[in-house]
This record gives sequence, C-alpha cells and structure tokens, in this order.
Amino acid sequence: MIHQLRPVATPAKALLVLVCCVLSAAAGTDPPITATAFARDGRSLVAVSQTGLHVFGWPELDHQRTIKAAAANLHAAAFSVDGKLLAIAGGDPAEQGTVQVFSWPDGNVVATMDQHADSILSVRWIGNEQLLTASIDRDVKRWSLKEPKVPLQTYKGHSRGVAALQVLDDGVFVSAGDDQSIRVWDLQTGKVIRSLNQHTKPIRTTALRPNKGGLPMLASAGSDRTIRFWQPTIGRMVRYVRLERAPLQIAWLDEARVVAACVDGHVRVIDADEVKVVQDLPVIKGWAYAVSVHSTDGSLVVAGTDGQIRRVIPAGGDK
Amino acid sequence: MQRLGGKVIAHRNWGRYRRLAPCRSLILVFVAAFSTCTYADDSPTDKAGSFRTVDFENDLIPIFTKNGCNAGACHGAAIGRGGFKLSLYGGNPKADFEAMVRQVGGRRINLAKPGASLVVLKPTEHVEHGGGTVFDMESESARLLIEWVRQGAKIESSRELTRVEVRPTKKVVRTTGEPISLSAIAHYSDGRSEDVTKWTIFAAEDSSVVEIEADKAVARVRRRGRHIVVARFLDEVVPVELIVPLSDTPVRLTKETQSGFVDTEVLRLLKTLGLPLSPIADDATFLRRVTLDLTGRLPLAERAKAFEQNANRAGLIDELLASAEFNEYWTMQLAQLLRIRPQRDDASGANTYHSWLASQVRAGINYKDLARTLITSVGDTAEQGPPNFYRTTGNAREQAEFVSELFMGSRLRCANCHNHPLDKWTQDDYHGLAAIFAKVESGKVVRAKPDGEVIHPRTLEAATLRIPGEQFLESGAANGREQLADWLTDSSNPYFAKAIVNRLWKRMMGRGLVEPVDDFRATNPATHPELLNQLAADFVAHDYSLRHTLKVIATSAAYARSANAVPQNKADDRFYSHAIRRRLEPEVLADAISDVLGVADQYGKNSPGTRAVALIDPKTPSRTLDVLGRCGREEACESSTVAVGGLPQKLHLLNGELLNARIAANGSRLRKLLAAGTSPMQIVDEFYFVALSRRPTKQETRHWKDQLSSIETPVAQRAFLEDFVWGLMTCDEFVTNH
Repeated sequence: MIHQLRPVATPAKALLVLVCCVLSAAAGTDPPITATAFARDGRSLVAVSQTGLHVFGWPELDHQRTIKAAAANLHAAAFSVDGKLLAIAGGDPAEQGTVQVFSWPDGNVVATMDQHADSILSVRWIGNEQLLTASIDRDVKRWSLKEPKVPLQTYKGHSRGVAALQVLDDGVFVSAGDDQSIRVWDLQTGKVIRSLNQHTKPIRTTALRPNKGGLPMLASAGSDRTIRFWQPTIGRMVRYVRLERAPLQIAWLDEARVVAACVDGHVRVIDADEVKVVQDLPVIKGWAYAVSVHSTDGSLVVAGTDGQIRRVIPAGGDK
Repeated sequence: MQRLGGKVIAHRNWGRYRRLAPCRSLILVFVAAFSTCTYADDSPTDKAGSFRTVDFENDLIPIFTKNGCNAGACHGAAIGRGGFKLSLYGGNPKADFEAMVRQVGGRRINLAKPGASLVVLKPTEHVEHGGGTVFDMESESARLLIEWVRQGAKIESSRELTRVEVRPTKKVVRTTGEPISLSAIAHYSDGRSEDVTKWTIFAAEDSSVVEIEADKAVARVRRRGRHIVVARFLDEVVPVELIVPLSDTPVRLTKETQSGFVDTEVLRLLKTLGLPLSPIADDATFLRRVTLDLTGRLPLAERAKAFEQNANRAGLIDELLASAEFNEYWTMQLAQLLRIRPQRDDASGANTYHSWLASQVRAGINYKDLARTLITSVGDTAEQGPPNFYRTTGNAREQAEFVSELFMGSRLRCANCHNHPLDKWTQDDYHGLAAIFAKVESGKVVRAKPDGEVIHPRTLEAATLRIPGEQFLESGAANGREQLADWLTDSSNPYFAKAIVNRLWKRMMGRGLVEPVDDFRATNPATHPELLNQLAADFVAHDYSLRHTLKVIATSAAYARSANAVPQNKADDRFYSHAIRRRLEPEVLADAISDVLGVADQYGKNSPGTRAVALIDPKTPSRTLDVLGRCGREEACESSTVAVGGLPQKLHLLNGELLNARIAANGSRLRKLLAAGTSPMQIVDEFYFVALSRRPTKQETRHWKDQLSSIETPVAQRAFLEDFVWGLMTCDEFVTNH
C-alpha cells in the first residue's frame, strides 16, 4: 500500500524536500528501499525493496505499479545504456544471487541470471547486452543476455564481499567491497591491474564522475566515513573528506559535487574539489540507502528505512 | 503489496536441499503455535497468552548470549564472523540492532516474510551456517526472533534492566555431587520482574570441578573446596560461591589466637571449609619471615641470636617498620608498582622520581596524597619526581590502562576494542579515561595539552572525557585530571583502597585476596570479601598509611602461622590455614646471597656494596639479576612472565658462578671465619644463623659433627665447609620465605 504524504516544509534554505512517499502497510514496518534508478526518459523512477520493484512517476513520486521479483532481497537497479532494459539484482541471503532483466517500460522478464552463491549488491551495464554483477560471495561476474544461464567470466580476487562496481572506458572496470580495497580490472583478461587500499573500513559504494575530459574520477564511500576521490587508471588517490556519519550511497550531482545518503538519514552535498560538506539536510528517518540524481531537472531522490522515498532539490539545483 | 508472499523458500538441512511448504504457511504455523502456547511469567506473553512487544535488548540479546552467538568464538569476535558482527555478549545493543536490521540493505531481516529472515534461517541451519544448528525452528529462541521481526524489528524498549538477582549467591553443601538449583530474576525499570533463569548463562570458573546442567540450571560440585560459578544475563554478571567443606569433621577454632578482624575473617572461612590450622610459627621463623617481608633482608645473626632469648614480636614489627631498611625496600616495592625506570636513555628523570618516592616513604607515605600528586602533576621531569608518572607509558591509552591497574586494580584494557566481557567497563570508560590523559603533554616537561584527544574507535570521533563507570565530564573540561583524582581518592571510592591493601596483603601473605591483584571484577571475587572491605576501611581510617596496614597484617595470627601444613590442610593454597611458602624476590635473594657469603655483588657501574633493592634502573647490568628473573618494569611486575625460581635459576644456583665463585673468594665470610680460627662447628652454627636465622637442630648438629669428624686434613675440611655453605644456600629453606 502506498501512502502519499504532503510535501514537507523546508528545514534549510539550501535544500528543498519536495515530495515524500512511504511504501507501507503499517507505518514503520515496511522493508527499506535499497536502490533507486531513473528511467532514461526521466519521467519515471524505479525503487527496489524486499517487497519487489516499484515504479513511480516523476517528479510527483506517484506510485504507478509494483513488479514482483524473483529474489527475496533486492539491492541494486540499473538501466541499460539505451534505457530499454532494466536490471534488478539481489538474492536469497547466503543461498543465491539473482539478476532479473526486464524490458522497459513494459516490465516483462527478459532474462534471469542466478549463478552467484550469495546476494548481488551491485549491477552495471556494459552497453546494452552485457552486465557486470558484484556479490557478497566475493565474485564479480560478467553476463551476456544472449546466454544468461552461465556467466561469460568470473573475476576472483576480493577476499570479502563485493559491494560496488563501475565500468570505465577502454575495457576497464573497478570493484570495491568489504575487504576495503578498490580493484581495477581488465575486463577481457580478468586480471587485476591494480589494487587501491586506503580505505580503513569496508567500502559501501562508488560513483564515477560525469565525463569532464581527462582521467576518469571515481568517488568511493566507506564505513570509515570517508569519501575518497581517485584516478583509478593511474592508481592515485587525489583527496578525501570525512563525513559526520557513514555514507551508504553516493552519486555525482554534477561535475563538481557529490551527494551522499548517510546512516543518519541525512543527505550531504560535498564539493569534490574543496573536499568539504557544503550542504547537510535531514531527509528521512533511519538509514538512507539510496540516492539517485535526475539527469536534467537538478533534483535527486533519496530512499531508505521503512520504505521512505523523497525528492530533494539541492541549492541551485532547480532547473 | 503482500506482507506474506507465497514464495517457496529453500530448506537445507544437513547439507541437503529440499523444497518446503510456502513460507507463509510456515509462518502461520509459528504464529499459531505462539497463540496457543501457555507461557510462564518469564516469557514475553501476557496472561492471555498473546505476545506482548518483543523487546530487542531485554528479550533477544539474552537469546544470542545464551546460544553463544555473540561470544568471542562466534559473531562476538572483534571482526565478527562470516561478515556479521555482534558486540561481545551484547554489550552494545544499538550496534547489534544496526548489524541485524540495517546493514547490507537490511538483508538479515525479512519484514515481508519474517520466517525467511536470515537471522532465523542461519541459526536453525535452514541455510548453511558455519556455527551449525544453534536452535530449532520450533524453539522458543526462533519463535521470539520471528515474532520480533513480525512486530517490525524495532529497537525501542519501554524498560531497562536495573539488576539481576541470582539465587543463591553463596551455598554450602555437605557432599560433592549434591544438586544446587540456580535461578535468576531480572528486575526492570518499569517495576516488572521476570524469571530469566533459562536465558542466563551459568559458567563454572573451573568446569572440571563444577558441572552445570544448562537446561536445568543445576550445579554439582565434584571436588571439595570453594568454587565460583558466574551467572551472566545481558551485561550483568553475578558470582555464585559454592562450598563443599574440605572435611566432614567440624573444626573447632574458638580457642585459636585472634588479634583482630583479620583473624576473625580468616577463621570464619576456615571453619566453613572445615580446614584445620597449622600452629603458630616458632620465633626464629617469624623473625626471618617478617624481616624479609618488611625490609627485604635477612635478620642479622646477632639479631637472630638475641631474638632467641627475647622474642618480642610486636616490638620487632614496630622496629622494622621504623627502620631505614624498610624505607629502602618499600621504595623498591612502590617503584616496581609505579614502573620507575629510565626513559629513552634519560636517567635523570628516573633518579629524580625515585628520590622523591624514597622521601615519601621516609616521611610516612599517605597513599591518597601520593596518588593525587601523581595524577595532577606537571613540571620538569628532571627536577620534579611526580611528573615522571606521565612518562611511564607511551601514550594516553596505555596510561589509562596503567592507571586503572595501578589505582583501581582493574583491567580496562579489554574495553579498548569492546565492552569488557567480564566486567562493567565499556569502551566509553576506556577511551574516556584515555581522553583525560590525552590532555597531558608527556615530554621531558609535563604540561597540560588542552587540544589533546583520542579517537573513539566506535564513533571515529574524539572520545569524551569520562570518569570510568561514573560520568562523562563536561565537553569544556580542559583538564579532567583533578576530577579524576577527586573521584579516585574519595573515601567512598570502591576501588582505590581495596586495590592497594590487596597488594599489601599479597606482599605479606603470598597471595592476594583478589588474584591477580590487578584484576578486580565481579566475576573474580575476593576469597575473603569482608576481610578486604575491612582492610580497606581500616586503611582509609588510618590516613591511607601503608605502614599501618602492614602492621595490621603482620600482627595477625594468620600471618604468624607456620608454613608447615598438616595433612588436612596440605592442599590449601588460598585460605591461610598455613603460611604460604614464597620464593624470595630476585633482588632480595641476590642481596641475601651477598649478605650470607659476605661478598657484595657488582651492579653495573654502581659503587661496590650497592644493594640490589636499591637499584633505580631495573636494567642495570647484572648477570645475577638476569638469572634470578628480575622485572624490567615495562609492564606490571605483578604479571611478569619471567618465571622466578624456574629451572635456569636452579641450575645457576647449583652450578653457576653465582655461588661457587664467591663462597671461598677473598674476604668472604667463610674465609674470614677460617682465618680467625673459628672451629668448624662454630662456622656451621654461624651460617645457620646468618642464612636461616636459627641454630641447627640437634639432629642437624649431630649430622654435621659426624661428617666433620671423618675429615682429617685442613684442606679437606675447608673444601667440606665450602660444600656445606653451598648446600645451605641451595636448600629450599634459604631461597624461600616461609
């Protein structure tokens, strides 16, 4: 059941929380929303939780439909490059990791991949036909929609669960996870190019800066409460910032700012060049697991504990 | 959105997968089971049989503890287990809640299908679990977990545990094997009480002696004596004392000598235990014992001979306590306690510190003033003694550990990484105390350092200054040392006086009332709790005077008892039915050897004749002290790992140069006696008095006469006497205080 809530007052001039919504049968007992993703046309948003895949209209956050998922837990969602496919990933804890691919927007199951031994925490597209998945089982796997039953390749190297993935250009991808390391891989050979180890606690998430030219810039966020900025292709940690509370998900707001959804339900906006928090706003009660930035309207969506989901416009973000 | 989906879940039991009924059905079965069960008052149901709110902290954490989930060998380990970390024994419920409900996208809890939650499937081994099957799906543990998830997996609690009442806390049974029922009642802030026996862990300190039937909460003692069982519920630990008298024959102690509360308390326990007493030691033994204990020296031969004629024990104790030798020896004792040693090749500070300490002992030290002076000290360490206190350790955390062990007799160090599993200390206590010391700059000049801080590993923020176990200090408190000193030295402080009188007791009696002496905690109770209380109160009432407490102990009949056990008390090593035979400390033994042989040892570049007990630097070059097992004072000497009296020492005594090269050296006692024409038997008598503080017994005299009578030449006689001295100094009677 969806409860549409009235817009909340602005607690800080810098940020505006516009619309909020709670997925709940009884307030406070619904599973958390663990990931969100905007459709390519920017007119709808998907959110995943233990109750399935939910589709919302944007910017109203009106609940449009729920699609049942194969896995008990869902942790990730990603649209293909052309936006015609949606992958959601998760699994049955300690048993199996599962990816389901849906055609979009009709929502029909196109493929299901379930060869991971534990839940998948991250899924990324390589173009429109291949996927990368990262799992608590410590493996990263590459899949093809043409042959979804078995992975094309398995990347082994992490000593603990893998939580985050990013695909770079030039046949390189990065993974990060509980072993506190970021690994840079050659997609084809499966070899680790380098390992970056400055985090002092598990890494929860990564985000790749929108193309600004020059070397790719990766942001990583960990339980050590830091967000670190890297040039992974040359193995350099450029700078870092330590937040007041641990970030759970991050996204680039633009080429200079990162937004972080944190364990205190706050969203913090970080100036990536100055490495300082420039805005801090309490958005939801509990943990904010998910944050996604809309590609054109300058707003973002934050979701987390008890199925809460909210639209936020950061300072200077309303286009 | 459906709350109870019909998805089929995989069920794995003993490594085999099979499909089960839909999860919804499974859950309904459990819910139905709940609704029809009749629960005792101790279950989270009301009288109508329906569930009240399952309380995460008060209902679930005891389940984890009882089932071993949050033990150090499982998810309570510092890094958790299998990616899932719980706080040790549930010491941090909030962190446990976040680990269970929030982490990894909340995957461990399935709010839509409570029975399919990972926290249920793992311990019931419906999915593979490294810890095996911990409880069944039908168990109360599983049902409570599922119900808690069904209720929304909340952390909010309407009540707080105020105390746990364990019954009995002390039980004397007549025979081994007799069942002893144990129970635990939890009392909560809302006025409610619950029988939590089944969620309480009862663990014997020595499981080979006390059997616990966990499901029935019944203990059986398998060996006579006094034994401890520790009851744990949440973070409360309560010791239970179980006693089976060592003898079936009652002992009559009413006519025994009693000189005060020390004897009253010692005899009270001996009577309970049925332990008979050894007699009071003879005068010569007492003289040697008390002289060694109070001055670290053997009595002079002349003194031993005079005491043989006029044994005024009380007068002797007063005389020893007022002696210069007492000052020297107890300066060493305190220097060991304070770990005085040169720092970073800077001997001047240690010399100043030692000199200051010696002056305190000479002046009749008030231990409270000494502690306060040390804790609040600032200044140049080369010029003032007390500031060197802050150069004892390497950093604020080590200083917190040092201070807690020194002045509180408590080991806070466990609480660095997690709340202390066997005591009340939390990480906040540890890092809060360290934060107080972080505000001290401990270089050559000790001064306040207002911006000093330590990072709390849980919050990754600067730790808040805290008086351990008591209160956080105001955030603006630049220097918490004054407040720490106030609290520590307050007469009502529960640790300070007990910690030092327990050390004094150990020094005199051979074993602490609490042992180890730096490990006071509820789960390590004193052998004689009331005696410890009275000693501490008496110490406080007498201006924290070390001399006073030493005198109280030295004048007791318990102290004066013979070390020779009678058959019925031979196994006693802690109840003082007989004196405990103790190895002489390395420094004392080294000095005793020198005194008996009449040949001084050489300690580094110190002037000839320097005694080992007077050394300031514990690492002063000395082969003798190396072999005898001295303490380097980097750590507490009480927990030194060096085995005093071990095999190296014995071999060195038997075969090494420590004795052999000095017995007949120029100027030795033996050479002088021979040169003076002293008869062989007079020499034997003399060495007996010097080394053992007594004359030979008739049997010994006869033996030596027989031996000497068969020796014909002076050369052979001299060789025999060298062997005699060697034999005397390697015998147990010489190397021990008894």
